[in-house]
Amino acid sequence: MTSVTLPPSAAPGLQGPQKKRTKTAITARSWQGWLFVAPGLLGLVLFIIVPLVGSLALGFFKYSLLGGGQFTGFDNFIHLVHDPLFINSVVVTTIFVVAYTPLNIMLSLAMALWLNTRLVGKTWLRVIFLIPALSPMVANAAVFRLLLQKDGAMNGALAGIGIGPIPWLSNGSWALGAIILVSLWQSFGYNMIVLGAGLDSVNPDLLAAARIDGAGAFRRFRSVTLPLLSPALFFTSVLTVIGAWQVFIQAYIITGGGPGQSTTTIMMYLYQSGFTYDQLGYASAMAAILFIIIAITTLIQVWGQKKWVFYD
Amino acid sequence: MITPKPKVYGRTDRASRQHRISRRVRAVVAATLSVGLAAAALAGCAGGASSGTSGGASSGTSGMNGKTVKMFTWVGNPDEEAQWTAYIDGGKLEDPALSVEFSGPAIGSYYTKLPTQLKGSDAPCIITLQNGQLEPYASALEPLDSYMTKAGIKASDYDPSMITQLSNGGKVYALPYDAEPMVLFYNKSMFAAAGVPAPTVHWTTNDFVTAAKKTTKGNVYGFALGQGIGPVGNFLAANDEEYVSKDGKADLTSPALQKRLQWFINLATVEKVSRPLEASGGQFPDIDQFSNSQAAMLINGTWDMAHEAKAIGANNLGVAVIPSDNGTPHGSIAGTGFAMTKSCGDKAAAFNAISAMTSAKSQQAVAKSRSQVPARADSLDAWKSSTGAEPAAVVKILTENGRVGVSATNGDKINTLFTQYEVNGFSGKSTAAQILQDVRNGVGQ
Repeated sequence: MTSVTLPPSAAPGLQGPQKKRTKTAITARSWQGWLFVAPGLLGLVLFIIVPLVGSLALGFFKYSLLGGGQFTGFDNFIHLVHDPLFINSVVVTTIFVVAYTPLNIMLSLAMALWLNTRLVGKTWLRVIFLIPALSPMVANAAVFRLLLQKDGAMNGALAGIGIGPIPWLSNGSWALGAIILVSLWQSFGYNMIVLGAGLDSVNPDLLAAARIDGAGAFRRFRSVTLPLLSPALFFTSVLTVIGAWQVFIQAYIITGGGPGQSTTTIMMYLYQSGFTYDQLGYASAMAAILFIIIAITTLIQVWGQKKWVFYD
Repeated sequence: MITPKPKVYGRTDRASRQHRISRRVRAVVAATLSVGLAAAALAGCAGGASSGTSGGASSGTSGMNGKTVKMFTWVGNPDEEAQWTAYIDGGKLEDPALSVEFSGPAIGSYYTKLPTQLKGSDAPCIITLQNGQLEPYASALEPLDSYMTKAGIKASDYDPSMITQLSNGGKVYALPYDAEPMVLFYNKSMFAAAGVPAPTVHWTTNDFVTAAKKTTKGNVYGFALGQGIGPVGNFLAANDEEYVSKDGKADLTSPALQKRLQWFINLATVEKVSRPLEASGGQFPDIDQFSNSQAAMLINGTWDMAHEAKAIGANNLGVAVIPSDNGTPHGSIAGTGFAMTKSCGDKAAAFNAISAMTSAKSQQAVAKSRSQVPARADSLDAWKSSTGAEPAAVVKILTENGRVGVSATNGDKINTLFTQYEVNGFSGKSTAAQILQDVRNGVGQ
């Protein structure tokens, strides 16, 4: 419900006491509003804003967890630009984002479309495909590390159909490919559920009308389903890209960043710098750069949505 | 049905409703805050109680739980848990009132989590440090010299190489409980099945490769390769070679390091006696291989004897020297010590615990029960009498020819990069020289 406050000129007789009461009401309502958002706001400030600002500030220090800090200005950021390991980590992560995001969206969409048909037991299948997303990434990664060894189960299975052995963990390109595949397996289920919900909300009358107009299955998908699904696709793509820039556990557990630097992602190098080499200031500068990269990518996606996302 | 409205004088209905809502909200918030503050206060009280009840000020209880001293160490498996329990039980032989509790992660993540623990509001009183690990943590630790003098404990009671490695700037920061040479474990039944005679204390590199070839069958390899620069360093040490100077500077252009690394890689790629190393976030694939009888030989410290004896059978576990080119082995002594944190609330109790757990009585008891080589000369006889003749002979010659291992100041970064790049050697992508060049580039040398 919304209240309408008449301007003083429109209701001169009510100008005095009514004006006072309205002001009081708005103030009280405003106070209540702040009260309701306070828990969330408090969490946001304590767990997001303060650490973010603290992390950014640390980026300007040479900071050791044990030895304390020393202000060094922009030294960490300048060093980062010239650090071949950091530049390599940006390249590796970019390859991961570029390969993983479209694969994830396409696989999730394909699965969502398949499960949107008159399939027997599709509810159970949805649950089964969601299980990897619900299970702990660390445990999954540890299992995949064993499966992907040269004499592991994966190559054993591929040998059965005359393929391999594939050097999953001893060749840089294959290792990054393995990280992408494991990440896909782990997380496509979540996007599948979101896109499935989007498909469920597509008005069947529109599809029926398109069919009557003579549109084939592909045309109906391209011209009706896809535009109506675009808000869900936008949502999943934004979250998937953000998650992809922060990929860490898969590389940390499965490959340790190797062979060479082929799977050392930004987060992996950040972790190594901060907690293995005790260079917290340098790691914080890296975190700031990663934050900027993610913010720019997200902004581009948000601006770009005007061209392809349709809201009812 | 009409519900009578409560009377509110001097207000319109809407204003009064808002006022009532406002009052309710205030009441709910006040109640919630009260409950929250009360819970926080209770939590605070509970926290205080769990940090110890003997003191008064919080500084007096830091790192203590009542009269129990808190120790942070690696506890990755039941065997390590049994080890710490054994040292605490051994300490009770010296001081029956000793009370120490311990907790911690597996060794693989111990040094990553240690700085956070030391900086935490409830840092432990005692931590454990392996040789070569002291330098980064020294600023958070209490020098033990004055406590040792007061208690009449001499540094010379302990293995000099371990005291050297647990000292920094001329001050002792940890007292060692073991001083153990790196040795070669072998699976006796695999050797017998392959017709390989038991190694002597003058085993050469050629003898080792011959034995490894004979014991390699299918997916069971002669020798289990370990990750990182340490396993290569073991062969350097056995041949009296070194790539780290006494001031902790690593020479990654060392011809000896390059030669031993290439030989190490060739064990898998040319001799085919080892499983090639692959990229892995895991820490000890070599130990897993040997413990699961997937490899006939493994190099590790004598501290691993109890674990390996349990894994493959005490009568099946052989102990030998790490082979050298000329058959004169040089031992690389490694070990661990107990250190006291600066933030410890009861330093007297903490030092008492350290001295009790490293006392002759404790080390003799643990030497008998767990076959760990004690750091005190006066406890070595107890170890020799409890372990077999073979380990005793091996440890004797390795200790006589022992050398103090020096860790590089940027050893963590070198080891991390080395672990990542050495995989390229096993896949045939890089030679030893290229691997070392890649590591040099990474550390900015």
